[in-house]
Amino acid sequence: MFKVTTDPLSLDEAYAAVRRDDCGAVALFVGTVRDHHDGKKVTRISYSAFSEMAVKEFAAIAAEAAARWKTGAMYIAHRTGALAIGDASVLIAVSAPHRAEAFEACRHAIEALKKMAPVWKEEFYETGKAWISG
Amino acid sequence: MKVAVQLFGPLAEQVGLSRLDVSVTGGTVRDVLAAVAVAAPTLRIDRSVRFAVNTDYAEPGATVREGDTVSLIPPVGGG
Repeated sequence: MFKVTTDPLSLDEAYAAVRRDDCGAVALFVGTVRDHHDGKKVTRISYSAFSEMAVKEFAAIAAEAAARWKTGAMYIAHRTGALAIGDASVLIAVSAPHRAEAFEACRHAIEALKKMAPVWKEEFYETGKAWISG
Repeated sequence: MKVAVQLFGPLAEQVGLSRLDVSVTGGTVRDVLAAVAVAAPTLRIDRSVRFAVNTDYAEPGATVREGDTVSLIPPVGGG
């Protein structure tokens, strides 16, 4: 399951989407909004996305993981809109027969998402703001 | 041909628009960019910007057809 949503992300939903009887491991990654960046205090973040394309990129990331690590299922969700400190911005869950493949596929998925997914982050500070990439 | 151009993030902010409709002479992403340069002369499209035709990344030489949407993808920051 792949989505871009303004709604809060749900760990329960992610876990339920990937847990399978033929998989002995589920790895989860949650990216959360941090309160500082380069020595500046972050007050909030706004994410925007080209949603249709982002979802397609998520599916491609999952297909690559399935081919490379024989994963069972993958869930990727990215939140958009105004997020507060501590909010989950991205959630990835992946099941695999064994833990090594689950961890590797999960790590690969977040790295690939950061390079490929058309999502933009605008950080707001006590004074000023900036677009953050990478 | 008529092509819709989508702008995102800092590029949309630069020109205060998220969409431009342009008339393009030629049939590649590069030709669309030439039309965008005329329609939005203040827009700075440097080498960090990637492109998409509809929902797939595309190189400047990629084919664009009437009715396609070309997106300008500035450096991404998801995660």
